[in-house]
Amino acid sequence: MTGGRGGGLLLPAILLLLVAFLLPVGLMVPTSFRPYVPLVGITNGFTIGYYTRLVTDSYYLEIIGRTLALGLTVTLSTLVLGYPMAFFLARTRSRWRNWLTILVVFPLLLNLVVRTFGWIALLAQNGLVNQALQALGVVHEPVKLLFNFAGLLIGLTHIFLPFMVLVLIGPIQNIPRDVEDAARVLGASWGSAFLRVTLPLSAPGILSGSILVFVLTISALVTPRLLGGPTYQVMSTLIYDEFLQRLNWPAGSAEAVLLTGMVLALVFFSGVLARRTGARA
Amino acid sequence: MTAARLRGWLLRVWVALVFAFLMLPVVVIALASFSRTSYLTVPPKGVTLRWFGAVLGDPEYVHAIGFSLSLALVATVGSLAAGVAASYALIRRRVPGGALVSALLNAPLIFPGVVVGVALLQFYALVHVNGTLAGLALAHMVITVPYVVRAVMASLQGIDPELESAARVLGASGPVAFFTVTLPLIRPGIAAGALFSFIVSFDNVPVSIFLLGAGQMTLPVKIFTAIEYGVDPSIAAVSTMLIALTGLGLAAAERWIGFHRFV
Amino acid sequence: MSGATPALSVRRLRKSFGAVVAVDEVSLDAAPGEFLSLLGPSGCGKSTVLRMVAGLLPPDAGQVVLAGEDITRVAVHRRNLGLVFQSYALFPHMTVLENVAFGLRRRGVGEAELRPRVERMLELVRLGPLGARHPRELSGGQQQRVALARALVTEPRVLLLDEPLSNLDALLRDEMRVELKRLQERLGTTMIFVTHDQAEALILSDRVVVMQGGRVEQVGPPEEVYRRPATPFVARFLGRANFFTGTVAGAEAGGTVVALDGGLSVVAGPRPGLTPGQRVQVAIRQENIRLGPAGAASDRANRFAATVVFHAFAGQAHHYVVQLADGRELEVAAPGAALPLARGAPAVIEWGPEDVVLLAGSESGAGGPA
Repeated sequence: MTGGRGGGLLLPAILLLLVAFLLPVGLMVPTSFRPYVPLVGITNGFTIGYYTRLVTDSYYLEIIGRTLALGLTVTLSTLVLGYPMAFFLARTRSRWRNWLTILVVFPLLLNLVVRTFGWIALLAQNGLVNQALQALGVVHEPVKLLFNFAGLLIGLTHIFLPFMVLVLIGPIQNIPRDVEDAARVLGASWGSAFLRVTLPLSAPGILSGSILVFVLTISALVTPRLLGGPTYQVMSTLIYDEFLQRLNWPAGSAEAVLLTGMVLALVFFSGVLARRTGARA
Repeated sequence: MTAARLRGWLLRVWVALVFAFLMLPVVVIALASFSRTSYLTVPPKGVTLRWFGAVLGDPEYVHAIGFSLSLALVATVGSLAAGVAASYALIRRRVPGGALVSALLNAPLIFPGVVVGVALLQFYALVHVNGTLAGLALAHMVITVPYVVRAVMASLQGIDPELESAARVLGASGPVAFFTVTLPLIRPGIAAGALFSFIVSFDNVPVSIFLLGAGQMTLPVKIFTAIEYGVDPSIAAVSTMLIALTGLGLAAAERWIGFHRFV
Repeated sequence: MSGATPALSVRRLRKSFGAVVAVDEVSLDAAPGEFLSLLGPSGCGKSTVLRMVAGLLPPDAGQVVLAGEDITRVAVHRRNLGLVFQSYALFPHMTVLENVAFGLRRRGVGEAELRPRVERMLELVRLGPLGARHPRELSGGQQQRVALARALVTEPRVLLLDEPLSNLDALLRDEMRVELKRLQERLGTTMIFVTHDQAEALILSDRVVVMQGGRVEQVGPPEEVYRRPATPFVARFLGRANFFTGTVAGAEAGGTVVALDGGLSVVAGPRPGLTPGQRVQVAIRQENIRLGPAGAASDRANRFAATVVFHAFAGQAHHYVVQLADGRELEVAAPGAALPLARGAPAVIEWGPEDVVLLAGSESGAGGPA
């Protein structure tokens, strides 16, 4: 028994991932080099045109740049909003602690379309946010918050904030309180104890949370589509349109390969970084 | 100690504000779904349940809800079978290349959903299973199996392997030992994995939207396309139903299995 | 032992993990009703032997024979052996009653018969009223009893115990030793007991098997293993002794004279087979050395003047370190009731020839106390 039959038990899961994940994703690479002729379809031939287009055409460069900019800003804002929250949840001795954690998990498990829909209602021209801003006299004309960067930033920050908080709680919890107390006893103010001890010790969590949020943001489809509309594109919505509207599968495949490459590179990079700093991502 | 107390209060205020931010869209939708107006407005004007009636009386919505539920059920049962077996093998057996296998099993967690969707769109067309329920269910299993594996592995790690040895010495065959001793002990992990799996499948848009065949429609894709055509309070009503069900399910899961341990 | 079929035989059992040979050609016999201990330091292979007997580990070579029947290839759950784990391995999701009933249920014992059998067993280990509790609600000692009851209720042909007392605190351990021994005498079950605690092995066992590095060093009744260790390892592992190396100077009928390296010579009992010139190790147990004030009269063969350089009182005994004229130091344990000698006091140490253990070979060159 011991040591045996491990392979057999793994077989269904491995088979599933080979057939319905690795193989299909791998097959996108050859497709991305096939020429697509409108009204004819995918032809036999070879082209790297869809890749060169992505890195030279300003239309695509803008989309890629926007996607990465969103990734970066969403990561930073979830970190700023989420770190204090994770710190609180990691340290509180409240008996409501578990339920507060569940309250963070709740939006995560709530349907993504539903959550995004809420932001449409909030961010529209006559939405609650504009009403509030006008009532407070901050602005006199409605501010445009949909179909632009601000809208996507707000919506995606909301969507991915729970991931950041949940990833941070563990590493912050694992910091021994003694170490902070030791810093205080040695003469550090609360601020410098936090900056020199607590924050560096939670670096592994910050790294893995940031990578996770960044990767999820640049991969997101539903929220950018609903809050950005068909014109304010990011990479995922571009891939979506190539496959379902323009039916240009090779172009879509090339874009998908690029997006996948970026995600894998980031995950690999974070692994290397984590190993180099001696921490685990 | 005043500085420390001030810091404590500032932290609490910040946390309360961030919680408010997290809950804001949820509250807004719930409120909007009761409005008498035929356009979306917050705060609601008047109170009515007619938008809920409209959703439940719409055969398209009813069909989509039924289809999503059955799809999520099939995907969950499938990923439980594959995921529990794989987790057991990875924790209890010396599997060559175990680290690689568990990396592969977790890969769909960080993989762009849209890429999985379009990759399967092309692949299914190639092998002629496009538009089938089986194809859709397999696709959903790919994205749900990591959640099962994560929760079940966490559960298994906390259980002494000697318990199964003890059962076997006492006369239980390998399978009997697993089903009488290990399985009851990892039930919370399995329940958490199943809940995750069900919700992830039920909520999915980026994979489903590319693979739905004629006559197939999941609820989130239905809502997604409805929003693209224009928003009205019936969308808020169906969303409110999802909010209520998710909330209840999560609260029940926390009460019964301490769900927070598995997130 | 006589001519009866052993309850359990292990024949030339081998097991390696990668390049490490954990069990190397181990053979053992346990007579019906015998209490046999496998004693050795951690990593000596004793637990591996036990797991192979239980069937939890497949041996690389060798046989496990149960009452004349080769069970080497029989599946774990068909061996009808009892095993008490170091961690007890009680099923946390079952009550005490369910834990104990588990083995009977697997054997298809009907509910009508099962209940009284389980209850009788719980009475026997003095857990009668605790059947409805869960293991986490019990103390360590109670958990230990549940583990015993669970293993014994199926009336196994042999009961295997893997360091079962090592998780208990010292007081409870002493109590459980007595209880275990009485239980064994009452039920007559053959028991194979794995331990690293030499006192435990000596107290409990009919015979002790001392193991080291995957091999059996010596098998024998406790007294024999203690008094006549066959190898330097056994001498060092059981009890505390002073070790010296030397050369056999004379072997006569009355005794053997050994010249210790560095000058002194000691007289040991007659040891046929040793020839003059042969290198030997000499071991003298601490408690066999008698310590007295200088000038005390005696007729012992080995008598040396010494100075006390260290003294500590440990309740049952006084611990001393004494120095001989040539600078050599010895550890001495004197009865706790004896009048203590102060540090720096001149003294005499002496021991009889029968207290000198001679071991052929001198692989360990260390001359000091072990």
